[in-house]
Amino acid sequence: MRARLLAREGGEEVYELFIGPQHPSSGHMRFIVRLEGDVIVSVDPDIGYVHRTMEKLAEGREAIKVIPLLERMTIIDSHNVTIGLVRAMEKLLDVEPPPRARYLRTLLSEMNRIASHLYGIGIAGIMLNHSTMFMWAFGDREVWLQLAEELTGARLTHTYSIPGGVRRDLPQGFAEKAEKAIRYMERRLEEYKRIFLENPQVVARYEGVGVLRRHEASRLGVVGPNLRASGVRYDARLAEDYAAYSEVEFEVPTFEEGDAYARMRQRVEEIKQSMSIIRQVLRKMPSGPFFAEKYLRLLPPKLRDQVLSTGRLKFPAIFATMKLPQGEAVARAEMGHGEIFYHIISDGGSKPYRLRVVTPSFRNVILFRYLMPGHRFMDFPAIYGSLDYFPPEADR
Amino acid sequence: MMGMGALEWLISLLLSPQVFAPLIFPGLATALVVLLTVIWAERKIAARVQMRVGPLYVTRRFGGVLQMLADGTRYMFQEFIIPETCDKPYFVFAPILALTLAILPFAFIPAAPGFSPVKSPLSLLGALAVTSAVPLAVLLMGWSSENKFAIQGAVREAFMTVAYEAVVFISALAMGVAYGTLDLEEAVLRQRLPGVLLNPVSAFVFFVGMVMSSGKLPFDIVEGEQEIVAGPYVEYSGIIFGIGMGLAYLKLYAFSLLFSLLYLAGWEPLPAPLYNLYPALGGVLLFAKAYLVMLFVVFLRSVYGRYRLDQALRAGWRVYFPLALLSVLISVVVRVVGYA
Amino acid sequence: MPNPLYSFPRHLRAIATGLKYLIAPNRMTVYYPEKVIELPPGYRGLIRYHPELCVQCGLCAMICPAAAMKMFVKKGEKKGRPGVNYQRCIFCGFCVDICPQNALEMVRVHDVAYDRWEDMVLPPEKLAQEPVSPALAEGAKVVRPVFSEERGLVHEPA
Repeated sequence: MRARLLAREGGEEVYELFIGPQHPSSGHMRFIVRLEGDVIVSVDPDIGYVHRTMEKLAEGREAIKVIPLLERMTIIDSHNVTIGLVRAMEKLLDVEPPPRARYLRTLLSEMNRIASHLYGIGIAGIMLNHSTMFMWAFGDREVWLQLAEELTGARLTHTYSIPGGVRRDLPQGFAEKAEKAIRYMERRLEEYKRIFLENPQVVARYEGVGVLRRHEASRLGVVGPNLRASGVRYDARLAEDYAAYSEVEFEVPTFEEGDAYARMRQRVEEIKQSMSIIRQVLRKMPSGPFFAEKYLRLLPPKLRDQVLSTGRLKFPAIFATMKLPQGEAVARAEMGHGEIFYHIISDGGSKPYRLRVVTPSFRNVILFRYLMPGHRFMDFPAIYGSLDYFPPEADR
Repeated sequence: MMGMGALEWLISLLLSPQVFAPLIFPGLATALVVLLTVIWAERKIAARVQMRVGPLYVTRRFGGVLQMLADGTRYMFQEFIIPETCDKPYFVFAPILALTLAILPFAFIPAAPGFSPVKSPLSLLGALAVTSAVPLAVLLMGWSSENKFAIQGAVREAFMTVAYEAVVFISALAMGVAYGTLDLEEAVLRQRLPGVLLNPVSAFVFFVGMVMSSGKLPFDIVEGEQEIVAGPYVEYSGIIFGIGMGLAYLKLYAFSLLFSLLYLAGWEPLPAPLYNLYPALGGVLLFAKAYLVMLFVVFLRSVYGRYRLDQALRAGWRVYFPLALLSVLISVVVRVVGYA
Repeated sequence: MPNPLYSFPRHLRAIATGLKYLIAPNRMTVYYPEKVIELPPGYRGLIRYHPELCVQCGLCAMICPAAAMKMFVKKGEKKGRPGVNYQRCIFCGFCVDICPQNALEMVRVHDVAYDRWEDMVLPPEKLAQEPVSPALAEGAKVVRPVFSEERGLVHEPA
């Protein structure tokens, strides 16, 4: 009863490896890799291990309860995940957040983007067994999580945006802390370059590996830094006007090569752009309420004064049973991993009739089938790390 | 009286170089102590670089230095699972063979002048030849596990052996040319200048070959955890897994002893009081130098990721092999100019 | 093969960066439970209930996204008082935010542990007690995270 090592299909030299969910570097998914010697012939990603039926669960919850539910899709990037949903609901409810709320949303979105990119860089590091990059990225992420904790009250599960505005105002002394964090991060990015990005060993693993050409990228429907590193300048922050992105100046970096090295550098450049946006937001923050007047006036005057003086929101009582007007609404947001798309259909009740969400990792899964063949087996974790693929987000 | 005679004979047997050096210092017992501490040191060094603390709580006041003893004890009590589909006799035999082969080099390594276990004019060749047999046992481990990941790991071990063996041999033999002897004891006695200054190219190439052979980053391709999950050792559990993990460090220890003997002037300067007390104690400096070399090699773990297999092979043959040949040339020049 | 003149100095630079942190490490470990991090004001920790302020409107149970907040109705009462099931609570803070009487607040404690599964369902009487962090109760020292340009987050004694 010896185990058979060769697969029957294909040639005699092709054998199958199951990089299954029980594997140090497969994430929450399974890959069926067919190898001929050391060269990959095909990779079959097998997703669905973390499917939590979020779209169906959203049909059983009232509108405001859907926000913490969908936030858990990509908890590392939680504000960017929910802001798309909140925008869609605001379009249905016909309410606009005040300017200060839009700037606060931008602030938290960019902080989350930095944390998400650091997570991606760290995972890419450990995929090459570069444990220092992994530990440094996650240790420096703590700085940003601490900032988010001071702003929202929780490290990861912010639940910060709700239809109408945001839940907390800027605390005292936040701008100085953010400036120190940004200066620290700038210094650390230089050190990442010295030990990881310009380390000749890492460059040898990444350069020319997993090349995604420009026309392939747009044909396959890839989104996010993977797309921009292949030369296509598409960013949902430019395509759709949400939060305060039309009022701050930032560049969208692109690279031409489209290989894994370009993708890693793309993420570092995007971190730098995010830090510049945070500086501008903190400088230009408009004064005023942080929640829409349409809902604030529903509060009794004592609570309304308390909200404006303490900076902590009190929900008006109708939020518990708010009815979404009949209709459909569509919204996009740019997460760290790419563009997320929401489509919400309501039939006039308090629970959505149908909620459809297309996550960026779900769109990037196709790259496993198209980028891997022809590379050597050890390029598999290198490409995987450079794609910044997040299985819970793909499976919803 | 007969009892006293037998005891004296036993003690003199134990203290003779043929038994003391391979078994106690710098042999088996010291190797096990080095194993315990250098893995702890690796984890602590990596933790220092990586903004964290590393293992701490086992013996809190000493910084957790007995952590590996706790790990080893845990491995002792863990069940040794033998898979149904494996080749049972070879599955159990291979790691034991690997461990035995990894300890054999200590039969050739002298600790102090006049204290070689096997005094032979070819002791360098003997040590190198024995260490080159360990990959065969690892191949046997991978093959008998009947697991695709283990086979991949065994094949990688075979490839890596091909990459570094020639490099290590030729650069070590280059030093043999420079000193005019292949006897490790003589090599130390003839080092007026340390070997690393006489022939730095050979030292560099031997060092890189040493890192390749012991599977330390950036060349830990055989146990590539992110692709093949511990490679040939994947089906092993319990104390045999501990032996497998320790195997790489034993090879590293043997090689760093050779490095210190050939390039760092071995046991010079010899501490006379210790040497007069008991010859083996004069090898303290040799041990310290070897330990420092090991600490540097494990420090590289915090700086590098892993090279791809074909990149390591290409580096071994296209970069380090010509450098090794160059080091032979340099040795010839050194011998003609300085030592003639 | 990459140009060795280009790559060798970069190898040395990477090793030098590692050595710099080996000699002068920047550890950010907090030795919990001997030291406890002071949580910032506004932290969303465990819930404290003030029964004297509550008007038993039930809005907190209506808005709880995880169905963790439930109204416990005593015999003879028409409406009930809120209790929390910490097996389900996600600490989102919606209940605190919607209470019109400010009868619920979130305290700055997060590291409570329970011995039994049933202990995690708190009726209103237990919810009215102040949650206590077990590490602080056993005499941990409090440290506060301070942002620093050189070291990122430094935990200084509060």
